[in-house]
Amino acid sequence: MPAIVVEGLERAFDEVLAVQGVDLEVDEGEIYGFLGPNGAGKTTIVRMLTTLLLPTGGRATVAGHDVVREARAVRESIGVALQEAALDPLMTGRELIRLQATLQGIPSGEGRRRADDLLDRVDLAAAADRRVGTYSGGMQRRLDLAAALVHEPRVLFLDEPTTGLDPVSRKTIWEEVRALNDEGTTVFLTTQYLEEADQLADNVGIIDNGRIVAEGTPESLKAEVGNPHIQLQLEEGSIAEAEKICARIGKLLPPKDGKTMLVEVANGAADIPRVVRALDGAGVEVGALELVQPSLDDVFVAKTGYHLEQEDEEGAASEPVET
Amino acid sequence: MSRLETNLRVVRALGMRSVRQTFRRPQLIAPIVVFPTLLLAIQTGGAGAAVNLPGFPAVQSFLQFMLAGAIMQSLMLAANSGGIALAVDIEMGFTDRLFAAPISRYSVVLGRLVGTAALGVAAALWFLAIGLVFGANIEGGVPGALVVIALTTAATVAIGGVGSAIALRTGKASIVQGLFPLIFVILFLSTAFFPQGLMVEPAQTIAKYNPLSFIVEGIREPIVTGLNGTDLLGAVLAVAGIATISLLMSARALRHRLRTGG
Amino acid sequence: MVRRQDLATIAALVNRAKNELLRVPGAAVPGVLAPTIFFLGLNGVFGSLTQLSGFTTDSYPSFLVPVSLLQGAGFTGAATGVNLARDIEQGWLDRLLASPAPRWVLLTGLVLAASLRAFIPATAVLLVAFGVGAHWPGVDGLLIVYAVVAVTAAVAACYASSLALHYKSQSAAPLMQAGMLALILATTAYAPLELMQGWLQDVARVNPMTLVVDAVRQGFVGGVSWEETWPGILALAGMLAIVGALSLRGMRRTAL
Repeated sequence: MPAIVVEGLERAFDEVLAVQGVDLEVDEGEIYGFLGPNGAGKTTIVRMLTTLLLPTGGRATVAGHDVVREARAVRESIGVALQEAALDPLMTGRELIRLQATLQGIPSGEGRRRADDLLDRVDLAAAADRRVGTYSGGMQRRLDLAAALVHEPRVLFLDEPTTGLDPVSRKTIWEEVRALNDEGTTVFLTTQYLEEADQLADNVGIIDNGRIVAEGTPESLKAEVGNPHIQLQLEEGSIAEAEKICARIGKLLPPKDGKTMLVEVANGAADIPRVVRALDGAGVEVGALELVQPSLDDVFVAKTGYHLEQEDEEGAASEPVET
Repeated sequence: MSRLETNLRVVRALGMRSVRQTFRRPQLIAPIVVFPTLLLAIQTGGAGAAVNLPGFPAVQSFLQFMLAGAIMQSLMLAANSGGIALAVDIEMGFTDRLFAAPISRYSVVLGRLVGTAALGVAAALWFLAIGLVFGANIEGGVPGALVVIALTTAATVAIGGVGSAIALRTGKASIVQGLFPLIFVILFLSTAFFPQGLMVEPAQTIAKYNPLSFIVEGIREPIVTGLNGTDLLGAVLAVAGIATISLLMSARALRHRLRTGG
Repeated sequence: MVRRQDLATIAALVNRAKNELLRVPGAAVPGVLAPTIFFLGLNGVFGSLTQLSGFTTDSYPSFLVPVSLLQGAGFTGAATGVNLARDIEQGWLDRLLASPAPRWVLLTGLVLAASLRAFIPATAVLLVAFGVGAHWPGVDGLLIVYAVVAVTAAVAACYASSLALHYKSQSAAPLMQAGMLALILATTAYAPLELMQGWLQDVARVNPMTLVVDAVRQGFVGGVSWEETWPGILALAGMLAIVGALSLRGMRRTAL
């Protein structure tokens, strides 16, 4: 039985359709990565699947229960760590997990035992009796994750679990998510980081403007895009000239900034000499050159026309460019 | 453009900003207008029979008597909220941006006070209007109303100076906000809500010397008896005294902040 | 049916609210200060109203103390609403709503915390009142005081919570505070009904809170009787039923 089934899910806010007819299925024991820029509708969908928001159309079941009609049963089967890492700065880590245990209807003795185990597991045992307000960002996310696990949920929802974290903290969360999954927990995770989806997810759904634009395993999605591309660093003034030349060899992809040019080529490394010779012949100087295998970003570009992650680290997507 | 002209424009722009800020935030406007209006309505209806007490001064109605108290309460709260807003600006670093500009630093504080004064004017107009709508006479007529407005404005600046001095000295909104209860203590210990002779000891004695009582009586006189100047002089002196002290305090606190960097 | 785990959840939520009081230095001070200052201030200002013919007592502090007690309770309840709005803004409420705990349990935890917390300002106001000459209300009168304070705080907490759940923002705070203040003061707060004037007299006549004020006041200005007590109980029960239903509805509609 699939852990999550979503059919034609819609959500409107006043006139705006934030989620427009989403269909997806997540199998038991799978990690599903939901990839998209800010404002694409990821959080809205998570809120609907976790019973925090009512759909305005379509239906969804989580752990076999309808999210609207059987909200209570859904809440019993899911663990939720939402984007804000909603934590009370005045509570200690231990108190928070015990409160979560109580909220899930776990008897207090059992709750105490699980709190100790979980704090140990996410490496917060030493900080367990400190107030959450004194925790670092990474510690807060780990605590939030531990709280979401207190009732051993069948399905775990993580809304952007590593946004804003440093690389080390991010890796720690990844390891924990993988370990949980190995124990059989289904994980539904949203992210705006390509690497995160690539590293963790068995299946990836790419969402843009409230619609799923592509779905599949990271490998199949990348294979679908097909060819690798050559990335060239050029002098700013010579781009136009270079584009003219390279358009004859491969397919131009939308550039990431004003100094790089991306050319999709059919024969991979074998096409590099052709490109170099042609540019050299026209007197265009190449600063650096790299052959790049297809990534989820290429999938994203192919489906939406723009890059998910910008070079300027904004995280948000840029304006669509013509392809 | 001369430097004076530039500074005046800055004062005006900052004054406009602080007025807009107040009107856009229900948390800021409510204490200044809603609460004093609510209390005025309740106290007038609830304690209105007080005018029948032996020794109550001759007034048309308790509402007429209470208008000055409501104006006083409103202007004190406006002064306090001006101080809070300045402290928030300091906390957020907004004042640093202004202090870094090639303008007189005093005009930054002055701009805030101009905004606060505008709220004082609004308070005076609001309560005079309420009084007229609910049948209270302004015995001093139009000149009397103008005196009320002028006095209220000056008093708002004078007391607003206290708020900004504390804001500049501490740089903490929570501390200025903490003065809130104190405002009511001072108000209750003045003649804002009742004639001094009928108050209960020890409030009666304290109210006699409370400078706020002088200002309240100055605002009240044009409303309940007309312009004869007896209470006006005391009010002007009280306002001038408070203004001198509070503006000097503000200037010192500003220099201290600029010298020590916070 | 109330299950054991529901009671445990309510207790856990009350416990959390306790942190707010014990772990933030000075958190209890404004809640105590406001009604106390108003009590002392109004007493100094309006104290000679007792000289009016028709005034029911010659001790103004005794007459005034019920209003300040209720004001303290209303203030505490409104603060619960403001805290809930903050919890909504910061996402904390999502943690509670995504759990299987029944919504009425979540609401009860919130409201019960307000009721218990309201005992602090009530006790402070009582002590100050006795200090300035308010009469001893008798043990039965004192029981009425604490019961009414608890329920009034619950009414205020439900009212303020339904606003918090609707506006989802702390900027609704003035509406929470002003609403309770108006309800409590538009009664026989400062003078007996016969001595009140104009429209406020009409409002106080129909305001259910007047019955509550009278029920609390009886012990301080005379003696406690069942006839003066039950209308207050009925009024409070009615108000609690209405605002309780409103806030529960608000809690259930957060997903809309």
